[in-house]
Amino acid sequence: MPVLVACFKWVVDEAYIRRTSAGELDLSSVSYKISDYDRNALEEAARLKEAAGGSVAAVTVGIPEATKGIKDALSRGADQALFVADASFGDIGASETAVILADVIRSRIGNFDLILCGEGSSDRYDQQVGILLAERLGIPCISFVQRIDLEEGRLSAERRLEEGIERVSAPLPAVVTVLPDINVPRIPGVKDTLSASRKPVVTIGRDELAALPEAHFRTVSLTASRLDRQCERFGADGPEISRFVGALRQKGILR
Amino acid sequence: MDFRLTEEQELIRKNMREFAEKYVDPIAAEIDENSRHPVELFRQLAEGDWMGIPIPQDYGGAGADYLTHAVAVEELSRSCSSTGFTVSIHVGIACMLINLFGSEDQKKKFLVPMARGQHLGAFVLTEPGAGTDVMAATTAAVADGNDYVINGTKTFTSNGPTGDTYLVFAWTDKAAGRKGMSCFIVSKETPGMKAGEHFDKMGLRSSQTSEMVFKDCRVPKENLLGKEGNGMAMAMTGFDHGRVGIAAQSVGILQAALDESIRYSKERVQFGTPIARHQAISWMIADMATDLSAARYLTYAAAWLKDQKQPFSKEASMAKLFAAEAAMKHTIKAVQIHGGYGYCKGAKVERLMRDAKITEIYEGTSEAQRMVISGNVLR
Amino acid sequence: MAGIWIFAEQARHTLELLQAAQTIVEAGMGGEIAAFSWPGGPAPDELGAGGADEVLMLPPLAGDQPLEAYAPAILKEARQVRPDLLLFAATARGKDLAARIAAGLDAGLCSGCISLRWDKESKTLEMERLLYGGAAVHRIAPLAFPVLAAVPPGTFRAGSGNPGREPRIRHIVSPPASLVTVLERKPRERQGQDLSAAKVVVCAGRGFEKQEDLALARELADTLGGALACTRPLSEEMHWLPEDLCIGLSGIQVKPDVYIGIGVSGQVQHLTGIRGAKVVCAVNRDDQAPIFAAADLGVVGDLYAVLPRLLQALKETASS
Repeated sequence: MPVLVACFKWVVDEAYIRRTSAGELDLSSVSYKISDYDRNALEEAARLKEAAGGSVAAVTVGIPEATKGIKDALSRGADQALFVADASFGDIGASETAVILADVIRSRIGNFDLILCGEGSSDRYDQQVGILLAERLGIPCISFVQRIDLEEGRLSAERRLEEGIERVSAPLPAVVTVLPDINVPRIPGVKDTLSASRKPVVTIGRDELAALPEAHFRTVSLTASRLDRQCERFGADGPEISRFVGALRQKGILR
Repeated sequence: MDFRLTEEQELIRKNMREFAEKYVDPIAAEIDENSRHPVELFRQLAEGDWMGIPIPQDYGGAGADYLTHAVAVEELSRSCSSTGFTVSIHVGIACMLINLFGSEDQKKKFLVPMARGQHLGAFVLTEPGAGTDVMAATTAAVADGNDYVINGTKTFTSNGPTGDTYLVFAWTDKAAGRKGMSCFIVSKETPGMKAGEHFDKMGLRSSQTSEMVFKDCRVPKENLLGKEGNGMAMAMTGFDHGRVGIAAQSVGILQAALDESIRYSKERVQFGTPIARHQAISWMIADMATDLSAARYLTYAAAWLKDQKQPFSKEASMAKLFAAEAAMKHTIKAVQIHGGYGYCKGAKVERLMRDAKITEIYEGTSEAQRMVISGNVLR
Repeated sequence: MAGIWIFAEQARHTLELLQAAQTIVEAGMGGEIAAFSWPGGPAPDELGAGGADEVLMLPPLAGDQPLEAYAPAILKEARQVRPDLLLFAATARGKDLAARIAAGLDAGLCSGCISLRWDKESKTLEMERLLYGGAAVHRIAPLAFPVLAAVPPGTFRAGSGNPGREPRIRHIVSPPASLVTVLERKPRERQGQDLSAAKVVVCAGRGFEKQEDLALARELADTLGGALACTRPLSEEMHWLPEDLCIGLSGIQVKPDVYIGIGVSGQVQHLTGIRGAKVVCAVNRDDQAPIFAAADLGVVGDLYAVLPRLLQALKETASS
C-alpha cells in the first residue's frame, strides 16, 4: 500500500498572455491552471493508488490565493493536500521550491514511497525541481519517465532519452519526473470536484518552515520576446511567387 | 451581491469545456448532418456525472446546485446545442419532476438510473392540437383496477425514440379543468406506447423528436407521479426548471456565435484590413457581447433564485425569453459576419443559426413567455 | 578565476559550448576551460582542438550504470576545484546531471540558457532564458559563483578549432555505484535527417489536410537541398512524422540558413525553435497568422495553390 506524493504548481495559463500595443507582456487577463505535466504526475499517482492501494498527497508551494488549484488537484484522485502558502512564493525559483518541498515532505509525510513530479513546469520549464528535491532528500531520482511499474520496495521505469529508451530500476523511496506521454489525465467528474472541498488540506505558512531558501539569481529584466523581423509580403498568384523566388535568390538561398 | 461563481463551479465549467472540446466538438457537425443521437457520447457524459448534476447523490446524482447544472448546459451547448438541450430536458424536467414529486419507491426505481445517466428521460405533454394551449389536449388516462389505461397521441416529444423513462401527461378528470390532468411515469418497454419516426428538423437535429402514440397503454397505479389532478401544476414547475436550462443553452449558442465571429473577423481581410476593424462589424460584435452578458446574468440569477428556494417562474421565463431571442438575432448576425462562407455547411455559424430558432419555440414559445411574465407583473 | 567546465554527451555539442566558453573567457571572465570525456564520450583530442585547456577524464562505468552515475564524481571534483561556471548541453541526461551538481554545490542552474554574456564593468555574467512557452525573455545574473547553465544544443555555433592542440588530461576518480541501475537499453533508429545540422529546413504545419499531402513539402525540401520538419501536432497528435523532426520549445531548436514554414501558424512554442534561423519564410492563407510577425518573407495564400507554383518557379529558375 504505497504512500504516494504528487507535487504540482499552479501556473499562469500562457494561452491567455497578451501583448500591449507597445509590445510588452500583458498578464492582466490571465487565468491559472495546474501546470500541464503536473497533471500527468497527479494522474499517475492516482492510477498507481487505484492499482496498488495506498494514498496520494498532493503538495504545492504557492500564493495563498491558489485555493482553486488545491481543489483542482484534490479532484484528480489525491486524498489530501499540503499547501505551503505565502505571498512571496509567487515567482520563486526551482531551487527554492525544492528546498521547501523537501522540508515539508520530510516533516509531514515522513514514510513516503514515491514522489511524482512533472518533468518541467509550463511557465518556467526549469526541469529541475524533481531532481533537486531528490538530492535534498538523499534518495534516487529517475527523470523523463514514460512508464512506471511499482514493485515491493522497488520501482522500475522507462526513461525516454534522445538516444532511445532506458529501462531502469531503483529502490524506494525515490522521486520520478514524468513525461506527458505517461498517461492521459482524466477530466474530473462533477462529484470528484465537489468532494475535493471535503478532503483535508494542511496549510503551512512561511514561518513554519525549517529553513528559508535563498535565491541564486537576480532578475535583470523580464520582457516580451521580440519578434523583430520585418516581413515582406507576397501574394499567391504566379507573378507574386516569381517575385518571392527572386527574393530568395537575393538572400543567397538558392544554389 | 457576489456575482462570482464558486471555485467548484469554475472548475466544473472548465472540466465541462475540456470534455466538450475533446468529445463533442469532433462529432458535432456529423451528428447534426446525420440527425444522429450519439449513444457513446451520452455514456461518456454519464461517467462524468453530467447527467444528474442537481439531483441528490442518494438518488444517483452529483448533489450540486442548479446553477452548476446551468453552467454545464451552457458549456455543452457552446459545442453542440442538441447535446446541451438533451441534458437540459433530461435533468431539468424529467429528473427534477421525479425528484420533487416522486415517492421514495419511484425515486429509487426511476430517478436513480436516470440521474446516473443510464436511462434517458422524456417529457410528454404537447399534442398535435395542444401546443401553447395545453388545456386543448385530449390524451386521457382511465382508472381500471390496479392500472390506468392511457389513450391518445402526443407529438414533438424530445428523446421520444431514444428515451427510457417517459413522464406522460393525461386527463384523469377533464371536468376539473386545470386540476384534472395527471402525470404518469411510463417505461420504454410498456406495451401500448410507441414512438413514431424521428422528425427531420431544421436544427437541433441530433436531438431525437417524435410523436408518441398511446393505445390502451396500461400503467400501474404506482406509476402515478404525485397526486391525481396535480399534472398541470407539476408541468408548470417542470417548465420553470426547463426554461432555465433553455436559457443556458441559448447562452451557450450565443457564446459560440461570438467566439466564431471574433475569430473570423480577425482573419478575414477586405479593403486591406481585417473586417474586425470595420465599424459595421465591430458594432455587431459589441452588441453580441453585450446581449450575451445580459442573457448570462439573467440565466444565472434565475438559477440562483431556485437554489435559494425562492420562487423563480418569472425570472426563468424572462431569462428564456431574452436569451432565446438574443440567440436567434445574433446567430443571424454571425452568419452575416461570415458572409458567403457562413451560409455553407462546414461553417459552425450555419448550424448555430438553424439551432437557435427552436429556442424561441419550445418549452413555451416566446409568446407564451410574454403571457407568463405579464401575468406575473400585472397581478 | 577558476574557469569554466563543460559537459556534453556528444562531441559536437561540447564544441559548441567550448566556443561559447572561449567568448566569455575572452570577454573578461578569464580562467581556463575544461571539458569532460569518458569511454564512449567525446574524444580528448577533439576537445583539445575545440579549445579545452584540460580534459577531465571520467573512468568507465559498470554496464548497469546510467550516465548520471557520474554525478558524485563530478561533484567531488567541483567542490575541490570550484570552477566558476559549469556548462551542460541540455540533453535529457545533461539537464539531469546539471541539476544534481547544482544541488550538491548549492549553486544556481539556469535551464534552457540561450545566451551568455560577460559584462566587464559590473563583472557579472548575464544569462537569458525563455518563459511562458517562449513568450517572455528572462535575463538573470547569478548572485554567487559557481553557477551552472544547461544550454540547448545548437544555441551556439562550434568554432573552427585548433587541430593538433593537446590538452592536459586529468583523471577523475570513480564514483560510488548508483542506486539506479539500468535493466535494458532500447536504442532508437534515427528516423529523419539530423535537423540541427541542416542548412535549409522546410517545416510542415497544420495547414496540411492529409498526410499524403506532405509529399509537396518533401518535394520543396528536396528541391532546395534541405530537410523536412514539422510542428508538434503533426508528430505528437497525428503521428505523420517522427518526433525527432519536430521543431519547438520541447522539440528541436534549429539554426538553418533558411526556414520555410508551410501551413504553420506560428505558435510561440514553435517560434522558439526557429529564432536562430538566418532567414525565416512562411506560407499561410491566414493573413493574421502569428508566423508572419516572425518572418522575413511571407506568402499569404493557400499552400495547396502556392506550393505547386513555387515548385514550378524554382524549376524554371534552375533551368534558366
